[in-house]
Amino acid sequence: MRIPILKLHDCLLVSIQWELDDQTALQFQEDLLHKIHETSARGVVIDFTSIDFIDSFIAKVLGDVISMSKLMGAKVVITGIQPAVAITLIELGIRLEDVLTALDLEKGLEKLQRELED
Amino acid sequence: MDSCVKIINEWDIVAARQLGRNVAKDLGFGTVDQARITTAISELARNIYLYAGQGQVCIEKTEAVGKTGLIIISEDQGPGINDLRKVMEDGFSTSGGLGAGLPGVKRLVDEFTIESNPGEGTLIKAIKWLR
Amino acid sequence: MRKLIFNYVQTHKSEILNEWIGQMKQDADERAVYTMSAQMFKKTSSEFIELLISNFTETEQEFQSKLTGFAEKIVRLGWPLTVVTLGLRTFGQIVTEGMQEKEVVAQHNFIEFSVEFERWMFPLYNTIIDSYANTWERTVSLQKIALQELSAPLIPVFDKISVMPLVGTIDTERAKLIMENLLEGVVSHRSEVVLIDITGVPVVDTMVAHHIIQAADAVRLVGAKCMIVGIRPEIAQTIVTLGIDLNQVITTSTLKKGIEEALEMTERKIIEVEGE
Repeated sequence: MRIPILKLHDCLLVSIQWELDDQTALQFQEDLLHKIHETSARGVVIDFTSIDFIDSFIAKVLGDVISMSKLMGAKVVITGIQPAVAITLIELGIRLEDVLTALDLEKGLEKLQRELED
Repeated sequence: MDSCVKIINEWDIVAARQLGRNVAKDLGFGTVDQARITTAISELARNIYLYAGQGQVCIEKTEAVGKTGLIIISEDQGPGINDLRKVMEDGFSTSGGLGAGLPGVKRLVDEFTIESNPGEGTLIKAIKWLR
Repeated sequence: MRKLIFNYVQTHKSEILNEWIGQMKQDADERAVYTMSAQMFKKTSSEFIELLISNFTETEQEFQSKLTGFAEKIVRLGWPLTVVTLGLRTFGQIVTEGMQEKEVVAQHNFIEFSVEFERWMFPLYNTIIDSYANTWERTVSLQKIALQELSAPLIPVFDKISVMPLVGTIDTERAKLIMENLLEGVVSHRSEVVLIDITGVPVVDTMVAHHIIQAADAVRLVGAKCMIVGIRPEIAQTIVTLGIDLNQVITTSTLKKGIEEALEMTERKIIEVEGE
């Protein structure tokens, strides 16, 4: 199953709704980069509100896709990371430094707009 | 109840962590501990898939004086680990991943033991106690 | 034989009690004797001896519940365990000596007496120490729960701004609880900035700093900013001396300054209104 990627003006919106397995995560990485290329989007918001766990593999794919998007000129904001997910990531030793975050999709979009204005 | 999952392909990692989440929920673990348990299982199952090729992960209820918990037993007959001390160091990885690996798993649980003999395989036991 | 011991103890109860109190005053820890009034001590002592005797007359179950009750009482009174075991031993000595003196026990039946006496005293020791330990353990675990309850509330002070005051020593278990409270609170109050006030934390060592950095990291992941406030001069000194890197966390000396900064971050400020 593929994760849908929506376009909103010059931004891309992704809401991850179900647990990610390895294949879906890798497929998503590929799809997102193509979509950025296709639409020349300047920003991406990925929402994790419904995700209750992230392991080191998914975190790595995520970190990679953020760096790759940056290379292609798109800023990524991650939103809705659940407290339980944040705690396990930190305990695993995954800090996801330099990643922009926001509490929810709405605030994420606001943050992205501000970032793009600078 | 079948409390073991054989790890042969990537999909079995998902099956293992789903089983773990259900058992954790049944035992009454909170959401944060559920995430810790699920993540630990995912890491252990992935290690089997990546390094040993195949093996199994078992999730059971465990009891000690005055407390209940969940034990994760990960077992494989893979190549084993040469330098146990080194893999338990933060930032060590042979797969080019984030290097969270085993030290990360150890931080997620309350008790962690590992036995490994080169050429024979690896046995890991991790326990999370109910608070 | 059992009957014999019981009869002796029953008939000489008050003598035994007096002697016991006398000896205990001499031998026991001062704490036990002088923390309570003489009358209270006598009353408790007599209760103790009564309890020992009741072991003969009552059923196992009744004795158990009485014993547990008594153990709880003396734990509350602050009798140390050493006094209780000393008391048991003294009681045993007094009875043995007394029975020998009265020639109830003599050479011919001494072995029988010893065996029977031992058989009576040993479970007593066991049960008393057991219920003592249980009461003590329960107190400890209750205190532990109480400590967890006062752990760390997250207080929303303004729209988008919350404060978590930390008080007391932080160990790993508490740090985990604090982190959970912090993150759940940030998400449910929709806080954009959260201030952790460490004014009440007596010592900030490498471990505590590590937990604080982790908490700040986790707060960033859920999408808020974290600020550490209440850094006293001596804390600043230890942090730098220990070589702890807090550069990635915003820090200020007082909660007041922190709030001002947090308001600035959320594009607001406090202004004075002119009086009429």
